Amino acid sequence: MKRWLPGLALVLALLVAVPSGVAAQPKDTLTVALSSIISTLDPHMHFERVGILVNINMFDSLLHRTAKLEYEPSLATSWRALNDTTWEFKLRKGVKFHNGDVMTAEDVKYSVDRVIEPGKEKKKSPQYGNVRAIKEAKIVSADTVHIITEKPFPLLLERLVYFPIVPKKHVEKVGEEAFGSTATVGTGPWKLVEYKRDQSIKLEAFDGHWRGKPAFKHLVFRGIPEVATAVAELKTGGVDIIRNVNADLLNDIKSHPATTISTTPILRVHYISLDMRKPPFDKKAVRQAANYAIDKQAIITKMMAGLGKQVATVVQPQSLGFDAAVQPYPYDPKKAKELLAQAGYPNGVEVTMHSAAVEWRPHFEALGQMWTEVGLKTTVKPWDQGPAWNKFFQAEGNVQSQYGNWGNYSVFDADAVLHPLYHTEPGGWIGKHYARVEGLDKLIDEARSIIDPAKRKPIYSRIQQMIREEAPSVFLWTQNDTLGISKKVSYDARPDEWLWLFAAKPK
Amino acid sequence: MTAFLIRRLLRLVVVCIGVSLVTFGILHASGDPVALILPEAPDADRAKLREALGLSDPLPTQFARFVANAARGDFGKSFAHREPAFGLVAERMPTTLSLTCLAVALALALAIPVGIYSAVRRGSIGDHAATVTVLLGQSMPVFWIGIMLMLLFAVQWRLLPVSGWESWSAMVLPAITLGAFTTPLFMRIVRSSMLEVINLDYVRTARAKGVSEWLVICRHALRNAALPIVTVIGLQFGLLLGGAVLTETVFAIPGVGRLIVRAVVQLDFPIVQAGIFMLAMIIVSVNFMVDVLYVYLNPTIRLR
Repeated sequence: MKRWLPGLALVLALLVAVPSGVAAQPKDTLTVALSSIISTLDPHMHFERVGILVNINMFDSLLHRTAKLEYEPSLATSWRALNDTTWEFKLRKGVKFHNGDVMTAEDVKYSVDRVIEPGKEKKKSPQYGNVRAIKEAKIVSADTVHIITEKPFPLLLERLVYFPIVPKKHVEKVGEEAFGSTATVGTGPWKLVEYKRDQSIKLEAFDGHWRGKPAFKHLVFRGIPEVATAVAELKTGGVDIIRNVNADLLNDIKSHPATTISTTPILRVHYISLDMRKPPFDKKAVRQAANYAIDKQAIITKMMAGLGKQVATVVQPQSLGFDAAVQPYPYDPKKAKELLAQAGYPNGVEVTMHSAAVEWRPHFEALGQMWTEVGLKTTVKPWDQGPAWNKFFQAEGNVQSQYGNWGNYSVFDADAVLHPLYHTEPGGWIGKHYARVEGLDKLIDEARSIIDPAKRKPIYSRIQQMIREEAPSVFLWTQNDTLGISKKVSYDARPDEWLWLFAAKPK
Repeated sequence: MTAFLIRRLLRLVVVCIGVSLVTFGILHASGDPVALILPEAPDADRAKLREALGLSDPLPTQFARFVANAARGDFGKSFAHREPAFGLVAERMPTTLSLTCLAVALALALAIPVGIYSAVRRGSIGDHAATVTVLLGQSMPVFWIGIMLMLLFAVQWRLLPVSGWESWSAMVLPAITLGAFTTPLFMRIVRSSMLEVINLDYVRTARAKGVSEWLVICRHALRNAALPIVTVIGLQFGLLLGGAVLTETVFAIPGVGRLIVRAVVQLDFPIVQAGIFMLAMIIVSVNFMVDVLYVYLNPTIRLR
């Protein structure tokens, strides 16, 4: 055995000394790792983030949002509200699709119609819910379109930021299936070259794009489900941008000579929803105690590398309607115990906290621990997403408390979180099961039926004071989106979690 | 032999129905896919979709329809991909199968010589070293081995690609990873079954005849020791297909495992059903081949 030891040592030494045997990618290529590759490239037939991130680089919408979250003309050069329910959009002239067709009002109407499908009972598009307030799109002239809503709909512009315009003639010619896989055509900066399911999407710069040419000629998206693998690819130059970097990987990426990070607060808010219909959370004092029990800052500092911010309610600082005067619950375990005693639980009470947020498991356990310390003796119950959705939100809607987070669909408006979480209408999301705050439905309805932001703000202030006091949830924190980026590329993470790669430049 | 084949075919049908029933039952107990497809839509819209997907009928009706269609190879359209589920699974099956076969080949290439060595030189340093390796190998989870190999060979030494499945070099690490999962067991079986036969009379006779040690081991001993080895390969094949799921995830390989796992999370019933069904068929076929191999390896066994 000893005879071959020197040989082994030699082989190992050679391995260490060998220079890079794997070729790095060419300079005019930008490669992005996504956790999965979307199953269709048709921008209206899915609602997955990993698909939206690809689609926005191939398609344009009527308006665009800058990295500072301001609206910017895109396929529409200007827009205005003619009255409470009618918006007029002037279209950019001479915009070409990847196949050479010129974009017109016909295409805009077609794109709206294929999502809202007027007169049809069954709607195909999973995005229908986002824009179901739209009644119709009317062609006024070749470059003017009116979008008419059922009721005043203040969120219209927000919803149109991701509403890709597709080519009518082309889609009708090639059919829906080919349009979603082999013949995807938009007006965006990159056009489709190759779509390999589960593996990669290869795009090439579109010469006729109205903004001009993007800095990178080739754009490649690769599906890499495992974060550790994505990090390894980033370090070796196999990919240039990775998403959703966890706090424990930050330093590793920051200290590597070839990579760096870019991080920014996003619209995702974390909360524990409480079932207000049943004991013990039917009592306000218990719900407030649950809020006082959580040391939010400790979790942010120690478990999230400081990349997060405490919130007073679920309405975020970046959203329209946010009121900075409403303050977060302080960490006060003594007060929590007093409140529990007041509510009739001097010796504490047993509760169960559920969660399907797999990647936040350690935080979930910490929350349960903090509750237990003040007397809300918590059993934590982690779930897989599929079964959880049914149990938590849908048919059953029957968990005592649930830790989760809400991404607002990247809509920067208080309504995008208040309605799904707290409105009790039967078509709603979580609120219909768990929230029972008197008078809240009416205020939410009132605020969403007014177009003028100045008039909506005071209503949202009232709502925030009300929910801070009534505590239908434990209000936790907002999180950051953190990208790992190759030092060869300059790009900044955006608050809306978009990867708008037209802004990426080689360094 | 004909009776054996008929018996086997009947058993196959039973397995098919059993697997379908279990998969069907578990899936339908696990949640409502419509809730995942239309999260923010009114209940009325959901009800319509449920009807369109055939999910509103009573479960026995749904199962009968499923069996009738499945018999014709039609597992329905994937909810997420809007395409026939069978095609989606079949498209990825070659990748998973080649990964699994490569892993088995690698594992055997290592396990057989080392196992024989351990048996022949029982108690030697080499034998102990092999035993320790076996122990280590069995205690390391697949994804951990995968990530460690990746860090060493792809990140540190830059010899092989980190992930993917587009070139031969990209297949090396995944095959080793999955192979490492099963090598220790193979090695142990080779060693113990060799030990069982190596001192039997016919081996001693062969030696006494003056047959070279090499031939004694390969022709006389190994052939008789092969029976348990083949059995274990058959059994392990199913486990390896399971291990392929993790390997595919770590190395971003577009195989059946990843497809099914994602489909489970999304409650995409047709894909899960088609996928599990095809995997079950493959495992049954492998076991069938193992049975046939028995006869070849040991003519005293009768197939009944």
